[in-house]
Amino acid sequence: MNTGIDVVLVVILLSVLLSLASSRMMALVKIMALQGAMVSIAPLLLDEHSPLSNEGILFFQLMFLIKAALIPGLLYLAVTKVAIKREVEPIVGYHASLVVGLGLILLSAYITHHLGISLTGDAALLLIAAITTLGGGLFLMMSRTKAITQVIGYLMLENGIYLVGTALTGQSHSIYLVEFGVLLDLLVGVMIMGIILHNINRTFDDVDTAYLGQLKD
Amino acid sequence: MELVLTALGLILAGGLVPLPMQRWSTGARATHIALLAAGCLTGMIGLFLTWNQEAISAFSCTWLQVLPLALALDSLTAVFLLPVFLLAPIVALYGYQYLDRDVSPWQTGAHQLCFSLLIAAMVLVTLADNLFAFALAWELMSLASYLLVLYDHEHEESRRAATLYLLFTQAGALMIFAAFGLLFQATGSFTFAQWGQAPHAVKLTAFFLALVGFGSKAGVMPLHIWLPHAHPAAPSHVSALMSGVMIKMGVYGLLRLYFLLDEPAPVLARTVLGLGMISGVLGVAYALGKHDIKRLLAYHSIENIGIILIGCGLGMLGIASHNPAMTAFGFAGGLLHVLNHALFKSLLFMGAGAIIQKTGCRHLDQLGGLMRRMPVTGRTFLTGSVAIAGLPPLNGFVSELLIYCAAFQGVRLQGPDALLAMAAILALALIGGLASACFTKVVGIVFLGEPRRPLSSPIAESGLSMRAAMIVLALACVLIGLWPEPFIRMALHGLRDLVAPAAGSPDPLGSLPENLALATRMFLAVFLLLAACRHLVYRNKPVTQGATWGCGFTRPTARIQYTGTSYAREVVEFHQPFVKIRTVHKPITKIFPGLTHYASTVEDRAEIGLHRLLVAPILRVADKLRWIQHGHIQLYIGYIVLTIAVLLLVV
Repeated sequence: MNTGIDVVLVVILLSVLLSLASSRMMALVKIMALQGAMVSIAPLLLDEHSPLSNEGILFFQLMFLIKAALIPGLLYLAVTKVAIKREVEPIVGYHASLVVGLGLILLSAYITHHLGISLTGDAALLLIAAITTLGGGLFLMMSRTKAITQVIGYLMLENGIYLVGTALTGQSHSIYLVEFGVLLDLLVGVMIMGIILHNINRTFDDVDTAYLGQLKD
Repeated sequence: MELVLTALGLILAGGLVPLPMQRWSTGARATHIALLAAGCLTGMIGLFLTWNQEAISAFSCTWLQVLPLALALDSLTAVFLLPVFLLAPIVALYGYQYLDRDVSPWQTGAHQLCFSLLIAAMVLVTLADNLFAFALAWELMSLASYLLVLYDHEHEESRRAATLYLLFTQAGALMIFAAFGLLFQATGSFTFAQWGQAPHAVKLTAFFLALVGFGSKAGVMPLHIWLPHAHPAAPSHVSALMSGVMIKMGVYGLLRLYFLLDEPAPVLARTVLGLGMISGVLGVAYALGKHDIKRLLAYHSIENIGIILIGCGLGMLGIASHNPAMTAFGFAGGLLHVLNHALFKSLLFMGAGAIIQKTGCRHLDQLGGLMRRMPVTGRTFLTGSVAIAGLPPLNGFVSELLIYCAAFQGVRLQGPDALLAMAAILALALIGGLASACFTKVVGIVFLGEPRRPLSSPIAESGLSMRAAMIVLALACVLIGLWPEPFIRMALHGLRDLVAPAAGSPDPLGSLPENLALATRMFLAVFLLLAACRHLVYRNKPVTQGATWGCGFTRPTARIQYTGTSYAREVVEFHQPFVKIRTVHKPITKIFPGLTHYASTVEDRAEIGLHRLLVAPILRVADKLRWIQHGHIQLYIGYIVLTIAVLLLVV
């Protein structure tokens, strides 16, 4: 067993739980930065990881930069600029969210088992963490009213997707086509959401998604 | 092959280069046409250079590292490429002045880009040799033509027509890809050449699925609904291109698949033949009942697709019954009619476009007396009308005669096929007669007689580029009519790589092309002779001229002229159970009647059926499910989570 990857996975799981339980927007952004950093270094610590090519090194640097610095930076700007009231405003309470998060870990362990893919050691744990992150992201999107928490939930979801990809492929392929795709998707998504948030804020004086219902036909 | 690929590049450049120079509108349009013409000329040269080569030239590359794209140029491809390369520059030339109005430069630029894309996509569809290349080209063709139909996007009607077209073309593509998927599953290969090894049942299923898909593109009768809506909505030169060339891609796909599958079951031939007869007869019957000139022409496209399918169906019957002469006549007639229809239908749409542009009116009953005001448009339209009615000595006659020959060969077959061939002869005769009736109606009402409403301004002849395009096409029609041998050989050439020539009979056509050429020339000579005789006889006699449709009245008014409705009523009523006529009429009851009116419209049975059987139930169900769409994003995400959870846990 590789202790490095275990530590990283534990931090990722804790970050998911923490994000479900945190009540402050700024804390949530910081947690996302931590999670992004952990997610982007996780594949490097895997046992079956092959030696990096030049593109690989460049890719991981880019990845770390975007996930751990650029996107949280953008979020930070959005939170300060839009001057959102700093509470998260949950639909489901913090404690209940925490319980749901714990339930998610159990559920993803069950799903990993149920899928019946033969994964060795680390990868199985990685898959559990990945599905938990994915589910946590979805739950965050479901249970919070503010538009910016939707963005953060979406980011967490993408982190989960990236981890699932890592667990299933074990970095055995040489081109990082899928990873690049996910990354680009994410970046563009965050930027667009930033712009939209700004506009929503200007129009409605609030970014509560409950008011967005007024836009429908 | 290299030349054809160069042509593709030039055609695409014809769309891209004018984009940055839109501020200089004339220059942009001229560049567009020049590049298109250069591309099509290059392609044409490429075609002729490879025309007699035995080897099929091919080209392949990989796209995005995983998708292999293969192109191949064989004889069938060459025959279908010819009308594309021939028509595209002429249609673009017509568009030069037709689009001469105040629109934003971006709209013109986008239009030119889509136009180039559509032509390139059609070239790619015919060249495609594996699933990926075909699918990409087919979708590109659908989307480009959708955007072209959408040119007048500020009109509600245009948008509706374009959406209807998109629906049909995408549903058709779905069927085609389903058929391809089945074939891939059975053979495990993406290349077309391997698909002949699929099992019998798979082949049949795939063919019928693809028949629905290609049929909806080509406008075969029950699937034709988009055609009469999209053509009136699109600009006329786009209609000309779509009706003249694009819908033939459906026929191409069908023929390509038929030869790939190499399945001589007669049921395929019978289905194609039956569909051809239905589209042919009903297409022209509906055309007779329509009053919108472009809608009428759209129904004539359906009729002509029917004729082409009759030819191809007879050819397939010939293959199924091992009758090489019937095969040759049927396919040669069908393929020649592809070219002929491309020529005269584009010509007619261009004529209609010129009329609509100059008079601002597309309803037959409001037009009249245009022959004297637009002489070139009138005469070229008349040429096209004679050609489409299949009268000698023009090109429509040549291809229809070949199909007749195939049908007469088929009468000698055994069993039900002989009956079918007999029915095909009857259907062809009926189509020919009805088409003549329909075009006497159009020409008689639009070009002869007197204008039916006061003209706000005198109507002038259309612009020079439009006239030039129409004249070129009319001359091409006459040329094929009087010089049919090379064109018949060309159409027959399409079969070279597909049907193995039967031993013993080197030339299945015999001396027919030469005799046919002689006959049409003699017909023309007799016609001219009679005209000269008439001139001589009447030289010294007083000739009085009355108004057309004057019916002997000395002082007729324009209002007592024939209308399209009254002219065609008898013929349309004859088809009553298949054609629904709705009349709005207040009958005269008193001795001194008040104001009364009469209006009749012909409604499409297929359209009514589609609405009643498919659209209405779907709308009902969708209405019931409205509550799902409540607008709470959190619950929408909840739906997603629920679906994923169910999929992960259950499946």
